[in-house]
Amino acid sequence: MPPSERLRLEHVLEMVSALEAVILRSFGPEGGQVLFTRNTGQAMLSRSGTRILSALHLEHPLARMVVECVWKHSRATGDGSKTFILLLASLLRMISKAISRELGASHTYGFTEAAKAAAAPHLANKLLELASSDLDDLVAVNVVPYGFCLSLEDFTTHRLLLASFFHTRVSHVHCSYLSELTCEMLNRWKHKSDLPCVSLQFLSDNFPALHTPVSGFPVSSSRLIEGQVIHRDFATARLPNKQQPVKAAVFTNYMQPVLLGPGDVLKVGYGDGVTEQNTMVHFSAWTERSLESVIAKLQSLGVSLLLSAVKQSDAALALATQAHMSLVECVSEEELSLFMQLSGVTPVSRGCTIQAKHVAALSFCRPILLGAHRYVHVAFCEAAETCELNPCSLVICGPGEEQTDQYICAIRDAVCMLMTTWEPKHTSEAAASHGTVQSNKSPASSDMTTQSTANEPYVLKKCVLEPGCVIPAGGTFEFLLSKALLNSSLPSVSQLLANALLSVPRQIYSHSPKLFLQAQTRIMSLVQNPSNSVRLKESTSESTVDLGLESVACKCQLILAVVQCATSVLRVDTVLHAHTALHTRSKKHTNSSQDSTEDEEED
Amino acid sequence: MSRVVKKTPSVCTDMPLNNAEVCAKLHLMKELLRSCYGPTGRLKHIRNNIGGRVTTSSSSSVLLPALSSSQPLLNLIKSSILNHISRFSDCGLFAAIFCLSLLEHVRQHELRENLAIKVNKHCLSLCTSYLQREDCACRVKVNFCSSQNLMTLAGSIISSKPACLLTEAEKHHISTMVVRAFLQTIPCSTPGPVTLGHTVTVTIVGLRVLDSAVFPGLLVEMYDPFDQTDSSSGPLRTVLFSTSLAGDLAELGDGTIEVDPDVDTDLQVLNQLLELGKQLVEDEVRLCVCQKVIHPVLQQYLRSHGVVVLERLGMALMEPLSMLAGTQPVATLHARILSTAYGRVKNLSTKQFGFKTMLHLQPEGEAAVCTMVLCHRNETMLDELKVVCQKAEHGLRLTLKEPSALLGGGCTETHLSAYVKHKLFLLLQGQQEASESAAGLGCSPAEFLLGVKVFCRSLDMVARSLEHDGGTSVIDLNHAHHWTVSAGATKEDMVGGLGLCGCGLVENSPSTKWTFLNTEYAEFCPAPLLGDSCRKPTVLDSFTAKVNALQVAVETANLVLDVRYIIEDVN
Repeated sequence: MPPSERLRLEHVLEMVSALEAVILRSFGPEGGQVLFTRNTGQAMLSRSGTRILSALHLEHPLARMVVECVWKHSRATGDGSKTFILLLASLLRMISKAISRELGASHTYGFTEAAKAAAAPHLANKLLELASSDLDDLVAVNVVPYGFCLSLEDFTTHRLLLASFFHTRVSHVHCSYLSELTCEMLNRWKHKSDLPCVSLQFLSDNFPALHTPVSGFPVSSSRLIEGQVIHRDFATARLPNKQQPVKAAVFTNYMQPVLLGPGDVLKVGYGDGVTEQNTMVHFSAWTERSLESVIAKLQSLGVSLLLSAVKQSDAALALATQAHMSLVECVSEEELSLFMQLSGVTPVSRGCTIQAKHVAALSFCRPILLGAHRYVHVAFCEAAETCELNPCSLVICGPGEEQTDQYICAIRDAVCMLMTTWEPKHTSEAAASHGTVQSNKSPASSDMTTQSTANEPYVLKKCVLEPGCVIPAGGTFEFLLSKALLNSSLPSVSQLLANALLSVPRQIYSHSPKLFLQAQTRIMSLVQNPSNSVRLKESTSESTVDLGLESVACKCQLILAVVQCATSVLRVDTVLHAHTALHTRSKKHTNSSQDSTEDEEED
Repeated sequence: MSRVVKKTPSVCTDMPLNNAEVCAKLHLMKELLRSCYGPTGRLKHIRNNIGGRVTTSSSSSVLLPALSSSQPLLNLIKSSILNHISRFSDCGLFAAIFCLSLLEHVRQHELRENLAIKVNKHCLSLCTSYLQREDCACRVKVNFCSSQNLMTLAGSIISSKPACLLTEAEKHHISTMVVRAFLQTIPCSTPGPVTLGHTVTVTIVGLRVLDSAVFPGLLVEMYDPFDQTDSSSGPLRTVLFSTSLAGDLAELGDGTIEVDPDVDTDLQVLNQLLELGKQLVEDEVRLCVCQKVIHPVLQQYLRSHGVVVLERLGMALMEPLSMLAGTQPVATLHARILSTAYGRVKNLSTKQFGFKTMLHLQPEGEAAVCTMVLCHRNETMLDELKVVCQKAEHGLRLTLKEPSALLGGGCTETHLSAYVKHKLFLLLQGQQEASESAAGLGCSPAEFLLGVKVFCRSLDMVARSLEHDGGTSVIDLNHAHHWTVSAGATKEDMVGGLGLCGCGLVENSPSTKWTFLNTEYAEFCPAPLLGDSCRKPTVLDSFTAKVNALQVAVETANLVLDVRYIIEDVN
């Protein structure tokens, strides 16, 4: 029988509170960075909750489960990992308080332990039910009217949203600069006809090929450059000609034919004596001649730039140089695939089959010196399919690698966050009908909350969570939702969630409690006086300057994820310490990935 | 299979800057680097714990990699500075000292971190925009019509590294050489974008420093005796091979090759090589250079036909040589070599340096390749000299991008500090604006003032670090330049005998007022020097490097101030 450890609510709470204490250092407007060193001695800087938590190398299985939940959530939405821990801790605290109050009232001393153990999962289940069924509607009716949609033409709202995102992720002094940069990049990559999701998805897929970290320069030297940077140097000493357009071909294989595949056998000199046809020299002469014909073919097509995925032979290099071509070797797969998407060419796989479709036209190709490395900088001619795009790549500068890494992660997560914000709602059809039904019947029945009847005309239009919906940051979402939860006729557990939500703005304004009260009063007065709701929307232009914006979709997902995590944490009652070292580890992984954690086993 | 070891939890430090141990380490590092700063800086011996070679240096690019610390904050600062050095070669110690003194002063004055970050950023943008302005009084335009400024710039970089142990005459000789090498690598005739050439450095131990010299073209070390009588005059047709000519089999793939025992493959390959040699001789090639090894039989064949053979050139010299001779490297053994692939070398001669014999390849026309031969008495000093010469050349190259230089000798620092103070004073006079800008940064005017004071003190601190012999640093209240008073000087000496300021631009006059740098002084507007002053600055710093160093120092300090928590993985 392996040693086991009974888990009690207090333990869980204690552990989550410990995580909270670490996270709080970098939470909110006064938060700072966390520096951590890997076991290799490499240093990293971060304000991202996920990275901080995973760097802790926690031992307790429950803590690791929580970290896993955070990690999964932030990978999906790119945002909210610190708020996740904060909300989870405060939700558990509320649950524990509620249970002790209940038990204290009922005076059932004999069964306290068992009752306590049963009460927490019970409450959590109810909460999960509430969150998965009613949360979307509550948000749609009570929060969305106070927000607005990001505009696709004007990027100022995007910039505000990004600025407040970067406020939570990087040093304060660089937020505005980074958000300008990211906005500009989004703007250049925007497809006019498509949904923002498409271009965001493209950006996030190709991000590794689209950025270049450069250390040793101040952050303000970061910039966007036209076209694509291929992170390799020319293998040939001669630089490409200045002629325009530059014609390029992509090779995924060796230009010099490989005579023998693995397993092939070449027999030399057998048979009728040594002739000219039957020597080693003959074969190597043959490969050289076919290489020459490939180069001649390329020359006749006017190609002057060769991109290759592999390292070409010395002979290929020398012949290309003599033919005034520039060769770039060992280009990574991601960069080649981006290059091919943007230029619309197909790669040459066999040297003898080169055609015009293998040749791309570039507006220029030149060396670019970024930090210590010289790279190849290419820009694309405006072809039919790419004319709406303005391809550009990002150069991120910082004094050290730690900083450039941090900025790159932040920008990648920002793109992910925007994707969540713009994600089309699959249930929008249902929610829309639901919303209309509610507002239709609300004049008759007092079933819906009072304020929804009051701001009727507005709700009618806007009670669906549309893609791209944002709301002023600084706790507005939490205030509104908690108010709605308190006022609604939902089961009493909603009170728990409502109180837990308030802990987020409390932490945001932790440096001055006065500001917390001010913010609360301001938002509550808006709710009391519903005609103001439109004015809130209009006044955002001034007020959001200091508050910023946040995405409603991300917040909704966050609450759902927190409640799910709380439920799965509370359902665990015992930890078994098994001793078989290896295979339990894989079992643990499958367990937690399914989120069905009845028992946690740990080696 | 590797052993599965349970990971130990990480070690955490909360609020590292409030930790006395961390602060002591930062202070130690600051004092260590301060003592190396400037022409009179103290040298450091570096040796590892198992003995081995001892390095003597005072240069940041040697010292910083040798300082290893278990404190992540120190490593963070170190890596930022090293990154700066790898890009700009110069001003590494300046950046490190400025960054560390900012941190120390912020702590001493108990400023809130977030506030300090904002004020630092504000002051930095004041400084950088002032330095970019036309009327900036601490910037000097580099005039390419005369070598005066270039010589001063190179001389300042060389004399700031005392570990080279050079006399005045030697310093002058070396800086002349560096400037000459720099000028030779700028191609004159090519239109369009310019590609700078190469300077190849060759070091020779045991000769006098004054024997160092710069040669146009390349010097290649000789392994075989070279018969100078036959073929060294007149332009020589040159071929350059980038592949091995040793008779290796060509790469045919991963498969197996079965060879009949009767067939002598080696002989076949050698015949092929000799075929190639025949072509070279027919084409009247007089110099044959190979990156890798040449088969001895082929060498013998070529030599017997009067061809000079150079093998094992190495990768590093391939590009300079193909630039010098205008050749294109050849890597095919079977195809005919195109006539365009050949190049020309004007002249061959041997040069003797101590016990080293070098072959000198002279370019026929204007080629931006030159070789710098550096000599010094012993190896340690020679290493330092090589590093310094490369730094100086990099510093000169940076002037091509931005033809400016900054006043050295601490004058830029004191001037900037006075300028920032003055700007703040103007801001405080218009009270309304001051409180606005303070409110914009989220603090009271008093806090703002304190933050600016910390920034200026840290700048002054860098200027003061130039003095190591017990002297004191003073600033004049007219131009805000930096002066040093030697330890024994009296009040009278100060009035009459200070001579020139740190950069050599301002002369002492009886009307000049002074104040000590480490004291509070009333703000004043640093007056620009009159344009017709006939004095030339004697100490100059690279503009691009210093501006970047300033920015990197402030950003690194801000970063360290922003760190609230350290997690160390101790697995």
